[in-house]
Parts: sequence; structure tokens; C-alpha cells
Amino acid sequence: MRATPSRHATALLRPGRLYARRGAAPQLPLHPSQPTQTRHYLSATSSTTASSSASASHAPPPSSSSPYSVNATEISHFSALASSWWDPHGPSRPLHLMNPLRHDFIRACLSSSSSTHQQQRQQQTPTKLRYLDVGCGGGIFAESAARLANTAHVRAVDPSEAVLSVARAHARRDPALRGKLEYLCTPIEALPLPDDNNNNNGGYYDVVSLFEVLEHVDYPAEFLSRVARFVRPDGGWLVMSTIARTWTSWVVTNLVAEDLLRVVPRGTHDWAKYVNAHELEAFFAGAEGKGLGRWGTPRVMGVVYVPGFGWREVRGSEKVGNYFFGVQRLG
Amino acid sequence: MGTLVAARAAYVCRTCAQHFHKQLGLRRGYSSSAAQPDIYDVVCVGGGPAGLSLLTALRSNPITSHLRIALVEAQDLAKMKSWKLPRDSFSNRCSSLTPSSAMFLDRIGAWKHMERDRVQEYQEMQVWDGVTGARIEFDWAPGSTSPAGTTIAYMIENLNLTSGLLRRLEELGGVSTFDNARVEKISYGEETEELDLREWPLVHLSGGKQLAARLLVGADGANSPVRTFAGIPARGWDYGRHGVVATLELEGEGWGGANTKIAYQRFLPTGPVALLPLPGNHSTLVWSTTPSNASLLKSLSAEDFVAMVNAAFRLTPTDLEYMHTQGSGQADEYSWRLQHTKFDTWAVPQAVTGVQEGSIASFPLKLRHADTYIGERVALVGDAAHTIHPLAGQGLNQGQGDVQSLANTIEYAVSHGWDIGVAMSLEPYLSERYAANHVLLGVCDKLHKLYSVGSGPLVHLRSAGLSAVNALTPLKAFLMRQAAGNGIKVF
Repeated sequence: MRATPSRHATALLRPGRLYARRGAAPQLPLHPSQPTQTRHYLSATSSTTASSSASASHAPPPSSSSPYSVNATEISHFSALASSWWDPHGPSRPLHLMNPLRHDFIRACLSSSSSTHQQQRQQQTPTKLRYLDVGCGGGIFAESAARLANTAHVRAVDPSEAVLSVARAHARRDPALRGKLEYLCTPIEALPLPDDNNNNNGGYYDVVSLFEVLEHVDYPAEFLSRVARFVRPDGGWLVMSTIARTWTSWVVTNLVAEDLLRVVPRGTHDWAKYVNAHELEAFFAGAEGKGLGRWGTPRVMGVVYVPGFGWREVRGSEKVGNYFFGVQRLG
Repeated sequence: MGTLVAARAAYVCRTCAQHFHKQLGLRRGYSSSAAQPDIYDVVCVGGGPAGLSLLTALRSNPITSHLRIALVEAQDLAKMKSWKLPRDSFSNRCSSLTPSSAMFLDRIGAWKHMERDRVQEYQEMQVWDGVTGARIEFDWAPGSTSPAGTTIAYMIENLNLTSGLLRRLEELGGVSTFDNARVEKISYGEETEELDLREWPLVHLSGGKQLAARLLVGADGANSPVRTFAGIPARGWDYGRHGVVATLELEGEGWGGANTKIAYQRFLPTGPVALLPLPGNHSTLVWSTTPSNASLLKSLSAEDFVAMVNAAFRLTPTDLEYMHTQGSGQADEYSWRLQHTKFDTWAVPQAVTGVQEGSIASFPLKLRHADTYIGERVALVGDAAHTIHPLAGQGLNQGQGDVQSLANTIEYAVSHGWDIGVAMSLEPYLSERYAANHVLLGVCDKLHKLYSVGSGPLVHLRSAGLSAVNALTPLKAFLMRQAAGNGIKVF
């Protein structure tokens, strides 16, 4: 369930696709308390939705009983991309180039861990980390995480069997991955939840990663609620990367306009950029009330793809395009 | 096979490595398809300065020190390591190490393993045009500073460098060494039930040993078998020149005494002749000239050879040309012609008084540049990637620059979970080094061609240029700092 790689490079150049993507976005109940605004956004968006993905935006409304976060169109889309996943000059090149930044971000998150939790962690398990990579795709991140010296184990899940067969075949090329990397074909909803009575850390993970996944999920809030339960309650990290709704897609919406007038005195860009971080931050700020545990202050890092140079961290760019988001579970 | 210290399997997990060792034990034999390869993260072919520096850099860095490393070398490494010469005797193959190369060697812990009293730094350079006499003097203006003090470069015997690196590597341990080993062929690995090594280079050694390489490093010289295996062409040309080298004895320690040593280089129409200081009253000669001149020089008696070297720094190109036509008797010819030649005694090296026996040798000069330095699971360093005209003494430093860059690239890959062998993770090495090396190759090539011209307007232009640079102290200081740095600039 990875992003179309070409999308990273061209996200800002192809707003049509973003509209289509975001057709599903208003249904994400990240702001359950603001149904009116959501409706505004929905109506504004559907008028500009590209026809190619119209089916996605006309998906049935969310319901709490919806079994899986998986969108069938997305799965078939990425299954079709499977063969080119590891081609260094193929469409996945920007994803390969982005991968080191994911580790830089995770490292920054881990080293910023609140000191008490860090101490606790060091006493309990002195060195090695357990990862759960959700929506692992061809395994670009999962393989790299498994290669790190301080990694104990990586479990990587994806709902597309076609993509996972590519991932498994590729992992066989590296003897260093054996015993450290495990692929499972499953939607996250079908992965058994951690059990506090269980040994083996109760099935919790030190790092749960969601890279370029959120934008492909129909109901992100429910999806995140599920994923968050796998994070170690005593200081584990949930890290993700996704794409902010860009100004091009938001400027035209009533929601932006209304909120712009209400919240931010000037600069449509700033507002549109601001909202995504805000949505995720709001989600985790309110997580405890929904029984999802207590979470720390999130870390955000914006990155920009410069053709010919690769990815660069650009402060503030999380408000425009691709960004990383990490949040530590404190209880 | 000699193992410096038992190799650790960490990057390749311990169990896999043991598994493969067991397999090897069960199926030892000549049939290459039956034998299981040993799996390494880095297999370096070539135990010269570039290869040894790379492995030392990887072993001395805590981030890369867990890599499983193998070194393949055709020569006897124990002999190289225990290399020893009497105090007053010097090898004829010397290199000029820039301060930044020396600092790199210090950083990886190898510098202190060199025999320091055989290393000679120099602080000044005298470069002049043999046709017009136009001159550029590289001495430090009073009060000018450089990060490395006033040292322009260190003259070091190549063997001192390699034996020091080998001692450092032994101290670090953890490298499986296969010396006295011939690479019989390089192929690709096979697919088994558990592993797919079809993209991994497989190095077949004489004796049947097979090494599978996550990353195969070609530090195997200008005719690199690794480069051939990777299908990377190297383009360039031969200069039609040979470099004549020799270890010389001078009448004294040099005009600057023991503490201010001077390097001399004179551009003759046949090529540059350079005299570079070694400890005491020794110097090393690098004389680029035509193959026929080179064979004449090698055929001369010690006395006549010494006369020719002195003539090369003092007499006119016409006189020199004549003396190359004589089969012998250059010593007499020189002393006669010297009386009729005007030159500034203090601007040329002190007189050469002797040549170390058996130290005169020559080798053909070439320019070669590989089309790329990387391939899937392959990286080339040093002469395997590029061969340069020796006139700027930059060949070894280019290799050291490659090694620094490749070691950094590997460190970044390891710390970010990248497979260090895939071309994509090696790309930073290529982009960092290729352009820099290409510029230097080009500059040295152009200099060679510029100074090969014996007459005509070009001669006056180049002299005007050299004199103009000489008059501009700040520009000169800049050029000297560039020379002391690692890379692009020549002088």
C-alpha cells in the first residue's frame, strides 16, 4: 500500500490526482467534532475530482463496522507496480532515495525519547529494537530496518500478495536478512492485537512504521486507531510519512477559506499546510479519550524531492508536501 | 590463506557464515560449481595503497567495523609488511602525499605506523619552463598560513606506505587475507533454496577457494580484472613517454637545509623532469621522456647518468638533445657544456653526485579513465579507476581521495540499512569523485601537452602565464593551498 512512486516527485505538479485521492479524505473522521466543515470540503472536492479515480471518492460512507482499511483499487494498483519495485531507475527510485531519511527521522525520534522512558527501555532491553512495518510494499524500508545493527526483528505486513512475493524474492538476495525479517500478507485489522499477558513484549513493537500509507487508506482515523495499539505503551514510537494536502487542492475548498478566515489571519498557503499536522496532532492529543493510550508531543519533519539531488529536509515544508510524523506512546 | 585475526561474521549473520563454512568443509574440492562460497560484505582485490587504505578505513570506523572483509592480493603480504631497507637506501618508487591524504591516513590510525624518518616533507617548489626559463617559485609568503602548516607534500616510499598500512590493519584485525593468490576468474553466484546470489560477484581463487562479495572492490591497478568483469571500459591514450625513476644522492641536504626542503620541476619539450627531496641528501627522480631517451638513460654508466640528470636541470634543451645522441661520455660533455651555460645556481637543485645502484627504472605513461567507478556490487578505486600523468604527483592522492569517499559512502549505507553493494547506495561515491578526478586528469594532460611544445607562440604565452602567476603572491598562495588540499588543483 505504498504511494505511486512517481507521485512523490510530481505531487505538486499533478493536483488532479491529489483531488482524486482526497476524494476519500473528507471521510476520514480526523475531526469528528467538525462534521459541517467536512461536508463543505467534500462538496468542494467532488466538483473538481478527476474522473479517473471517481470511484474511490464515491466509496460508501465510513462506518465503524467497516472491516478493513484496505482499498481494493489501491491494492490492485500496487500489485501492478510490483515488478518494478526494486528497479533503481524505475518508478520507485524516489522511494529508494527517500529511505535513508526515514532512518534519520526515526533516529531523531528515538534520541528525543523522554528520558524516563529511555532509561526504562535501556534497563529492560538494552539494545535491539523490534519493528512493525505496516504497508511494507516491496520491502524497501523493511529490508533496510532489518539490516541495521540495533534491530532485533522486523515484521512487515501488506495486504497485497503480489507485492509481498516481490518483497520475499528480493529478501532472498541478502543473507544478512535471514532470521531478522518476516513478511506477512494481511491487512492490519487481521493482525492479532498485542496481549499484555503474553511474554515476548506482549506483541508490542518499539517502532511501528507507516510509510507512504496513510494517503491510501479510506478511513485514516480508524486505521490509525488500530495501528496505534501495536506501539509499546512504555515509550514506543509510531512513525509515518505522508503528503500534506497541498495549497492547490485546498485553496479551492470552502473549508480552507472558512478556516482561513477564522484561524489564520493571512496566507492561504500557511493555513493549508498547517491543517495536516494539526489533524494528526489533534488525533493523538485526543487518543487517550478514545482508549488509545497517552502520547507525547509529535515530531514533524518536512522533506522536498529535488530531481537530480534526491530528498532534502526543508524546515516548514511539511506544510507543503511530503513530511514525516513521529509520536511516542507514553502510556 | 592467512587470517590476520579470525574473521568475525556480523553483517552476514553468524549462523549463515557457519552454515557456509560447514558446507565448504563438506564439499571441499576443485569442482567450482560444487563448492559453496564464503560470503563477505567486502572483497577487495588488490593490496596496494588504495585497497589497504580502504580496508583500514572500514575497520577503524565503529560503524563499518562489523563488516565481513576479505583481501585478495597476488603478492606475499608478509613480505610487504616486513619491508625494510638500510637507512641510507631508498626505494625508487615514491609518492607525494598531500597533507589532506596524510591527515586521512592519520585519522584511520595508519600514519603512525609509517617509518616516519623515511618520510620527507617539502615546503617549497620551483617550477620552470625549460625553453624560456620563465619560473614560478612556490614558497610561502611571510605570515601566510595553510591548515597543514607550510608543508606542501610528503615524499614517501610506496613500500613504506603499504607496510605501514598492513601493520595498522594487523593491529585492527578482522580481515581475511588471501595473499599469494591469483584471481582465476570472477563469475556470479548461484541460486539455492535459501539464497539468491545470482547478482553477487563470485571471486574464484587459485586453489579453488570462492569468495562471494556483497561489494567487490577493484583496487587491482590499471589493468583491473574487476573492471573487466564489470564490463566497464577505460578510455584514454598513451603519451608515448616513459617515466624514468631513480634514487639520487646530492652534494648536500638542499639549498634550504634540512628544515626547508624544495621540490624542483623543469618542463622540457620531451616532458617534465622532477627532483623531489628525500631525507638527508637523497632525492627521487621522475623524468618523463621519450621511450628512446629512457632506454638510453637506463643504459648509461652511473657517472654519465648523473651528468644527464644535472644537465636536465641546467643545460638548454638543444644541449640535452645532443647529449641524448651519445652512447656514452655524457659526464665529460656535461662539464664542458656547463662552463658555457648561464644559470642561477640557487634556483636549480644542488648537484647530483651519485645514483643508488639498481634504482634506475622506467615505465610507460598513460592516461586512462574508466567510464564509471561503480556497477551493481562493484566499485573501482585508485588506478583501476584512473591513471594519470605523474607530472603533478597526484596519482596516489587521487586514490586516497577515492578511498575516503567510498569509505564515507559505505558508512552512510550501513548506518541507513542500505545494501552496501547495490549501485544505488554507491552513487554518492561516483558523483563525488568522478568529476573531481576528471578535472585533474584533464589539467595534467593539458599541462603535458602545453609544455611539450618546443617553439612558437604558445611557448611565449605559457611563459607569460607562468611569470604572471609568479608575480601575484595571493594567487600563488591560493594555488599552493590547493596543492596541499586533496583534489582538484595541480600546483
